[in-house]
This record gives sequence, structure tokens and C-alpha cells, in this order.
Amino acid sequence: MPEEEGESLIHVAIKAEELFQLGPLHVTNSMVGALLASVVLLAGAWWFARRNQLVPTRVQSLLELPIELMAGIISASTSRWRSYAALILGFFLIILVANWIGLLPGVGTIGIAHVDETGHEAVIPLVRPASADLNFTLGLAIVSFVMFVFWGIRANGAGGYLKELLGQPLYMAPLMFPINLISEFSRLISLSMRLFGNVFAGEVLLATMIALVPILVPAAFLGLELIFGFVQALVFALLAMTYISTAIAEHHSAGHDSDHDTDHGAAHAAGADHPPAAEAASA
Amino acid sequence: MEFLAAGLAMGLGAIGPGIGLGIAVSKAMEALGRNPEASGAIFVPYILGIALAEAIGIYALVVSLLLIFVAPGAA
Repeated sequence: MPEEEGESLIHVAIKAEELFQLGPLHVTNSMVGALLASVVLLAGAWWFARRNQLVPTRVQSLLELPIELMAGIISASTSRWRSYAALILGFFLIILVANWIGLLPGVGTIGIAHVDETGHEAVIPLVRPASADLNFTLGLAIVSFVMFVFWGIRANGAGGYLKELLGQPLYMAPLMFPINLISEFSRLISLSMRLFGNVFAGEVLLATMIALVPILVPAAFLGLELIFGFVQALVFALLAMTYISTAIAEHHSAGHDSDHDTDHGAAHAAGADHPPAAEAASA
Repeated sequence: MEFLAAGLAMGLGAIGPGIGLGIAVSKAMEALGRNPEASGAIFVPYILGIALAEAIGIYALVVSLLLIFVAPGAA
């Protein structure tokens, strides 16, 4: 337990700590967290495949709730939502499960005692929430980056994608091209940093609160983190979806016009699709 | 010195997103109050706007974390 450390009650490590080495692979505790999230999802999928019923039981409808919410949002985005629905849903579920695993009791407290080079005694937690590691979030962001570039190229052709990067009046291209290129890559950074920053800050917040007031107060922050974990998963999935759907959007004349059009269409479809989405949100 | 810088980066960096989030949420609530049926249509753009505003605050957090953990003079 980190509380027995004495001098510093707050155990914060920005890097995922290494547990053991498996050949050339350094197995860190956030990898354990990611694996745990995958196992939970796979078990859920297996359970679903085995015993889903047309009239859902109580547990089944509870598990269907987040999927139903996301399905309502995704199917309202563009007409070609079927091509990217699985990816977005996958992002949402893995981040949601990975975030919530970090809130389970024992995660971050149960670990291996370890004395580092300076003689400092510390505990390496066995499990670390995967999204509190930049490697995990950057990996997800790279996947979404590759996918929205890929879909953009497939929808508009390589020339169309390049034209998009060059900007509208061609004589402005020397100025616009670097800016557009930077803005493409800043999506990658902001996607990964947002998720990492939020979850890591949540971990630090919880550790600080537990160190300051060990009783009752951390429970309130745990509840807050429960909401944040959900919101961040939703935000990541929605942003990835928005990037992809603007990449595959049909371009009429100017970039701005088509952006507006898709927005309008999405709003309309969401309005028409309102009852199931609201049901999922309120239930 | 790094800790002071980190604190300043986070504190000053939180002002902008704070104001931005306040405006976004107040407008969303206003819209919801005027037209409660539009909650489904408001929800997704609202979450996206919140996320984009919040990203600026996260950048500040990242800078201060870098100052604390990665800066040359840091422990």
C-alpha cells in the first residue's frame, strides 16, 4: 500500500511502470490494464453471442444500453455510417471499459514492492488504467488518424485529398498547405492528449484526495470519475466519427458549404431519430 | 522554479477553457430550456464543443506535467 510509504503519500508516475520482461517486450502495468479491458469486452461479446434473446433480460438490456446510445448517434451522422460504425463503437467500448477498470478497488493499490536505484521504496501497481498511459491513447489516435486519412482518400481520391490540403484558391497553397498539414496532425495529438490528460489527471486527483481525506470524500470523486470516464470515451468516439464523416463527406464546391450541409443533415437525422436516443440516455 | 512554472501554466491555462466551457454550457442549457425536444440534436454538437474547449485546458495540463516530470531541472 502506498500509504505506508511515510514521506510521500501520493504515488504518481507519469510513465507506465515495468512489471517484468518477456523477451524483448517490456510488460508494463498499463498493458495489463489494456489486456484486462480486452478480456472484459471479449467475455461480454461471448456472453452476448451465447445467450441473447429477442426480449432482453435485465442484464442484457443494461449491456445493450451504451451500444444503443452509440448506434443512435452513429446512424444519425452520415448516410455511409455502416462503413465506420464498428470502428467507432469499438473505440467507445474499449475506452469506456479501460477507464472504468481504473476505478475498481485494488487497481493502483495492489502491487509489487520495489526499491529503486536511489533506495526509494515504492509499490508498482499491478494494474494501471490503460488510458492513463500515453502509448495506449496515442495508439488509438493513430488508428483513427490512419482510418480518416484512408477514408478521405478512398472517398475523394488521392488528388481530391491533396486538393483539400492545398486549400481553395490555389495561389494561397504555400500558406495553406503547412497550416492544413499541421491541423491534420494536431488532431492526432489532441485526440491522444485529451484522453490521456483527462484520465491521468483523474488518477492524480483521486490519489491526492485519498491522501488528504481518506474517508468518504474520495467516493464523491470516484462518482465524478465514473462520469468523466464515460464522457471521455464518448468524446473520443464522437471526434473520431466527426473526422471520418467530414473526410468522406461529398464535396460540392467549397469546403465550408459541405461542412455545413453534413452538420445540418446530422442534426435533422438526430431529431428524427430522437425517441430511441433519448430513451437510451434517460433509462 | 519548475513547480512555479507548472502551477502558473495550469492556472493561467485554465482561465480560457473555463470561460469557454461556461459559455458553451450556458448556451446549451438555454437552448434546452427553450426547446426541450431538441435535446437529441443538441447533445452531440454540445459534447464535441465541450471537448474542443477542454482540449486547451488539457494542453496546459500536459505542459505543466512536462515541466514537473520531464523538464531538465525536474526531480
